[in-house]
Amino acid sequence: MLCVTVDLFFRLPEDGIVSGATAIGNAIEKGGGDISGGYLMGNIVSSPDASAGTLLAACGVTVAGIPGGLFAALLIYIGSRVCCDKGYAGTSGAVIATFIIFLSGFIGFQGIDFIVGVVLSILLIQGIWHPFSSRLIERIWRYRF
Amino acid sequence: MEVQILIALQICVVVAIYAAFRVVFEKNTLRKLPFLNVVSFAVSGIIVLIIPQPLALLAAGAYLIGTALGSNAIASTLAGDEEG
Repeated sequence: MLCVTVDLFFRLPEDGIVSGATAIGNAIEKGGGDISGGYLMGNIVSSPDASAGTLLAACGVTVAGIPGGLFAALLIYIGSRVCCDKGYAGTSGAVIATFIIFLSGFIGFQGIDFIVGVVLSILLIQGIWHPFSSRLIERIWRYRF
Repeated sequence: MEVQILIALQICVVVAIYAAFRVVFEKNTLRKLPFLNVVSFAVSGIIVLIIPQPLALLAAGAYLIGTALGSNAIASTLAGDEEG
């Protein structure tokens, strides 16, 4: 069940900012965190992007195979459009996650493992301690550039 | 297989309850929202793990998108108040 790093890896490359995400980022920075990590956390909160796409794609592959994953991508696209987002990050994240999860079913990781992995990684990012996790995100983000 | 679903369910339930306590004990409203996001992720995972059917996927997606829309509305409203 250690696919937390995988999820964390391909949720990172995105920083499209919705207006509410800016407010959450400012609040996290005021509480002692880092500003760009705060923006990304606020972005995860306020629109269904690639992390929600990974979760729903894992659920879809678990219950219905590849069509379930693509249906989850459609749901994510509709939800992103409702939330005034462009919707590209969540949809492409869900499609990529569908195929990654389906392929890794052959080497022993099943969809259930991915559901638990996404829940644990979202707990790690959003739920333990905001200053530390926002600095961690910022460090990885700068390393990718 | 059954044992694996049970373990996954227990992990999701523990995460959801922990994050719900953090929501209750956090003072700042904007900093409550990430914990609320953890709760909604865990609950939509629980929905699919309990009912492994395609319609449960629709229910979980509707729940996840609905909570994200609610958090977006709250955060946008507070941001507008701060700016104006």
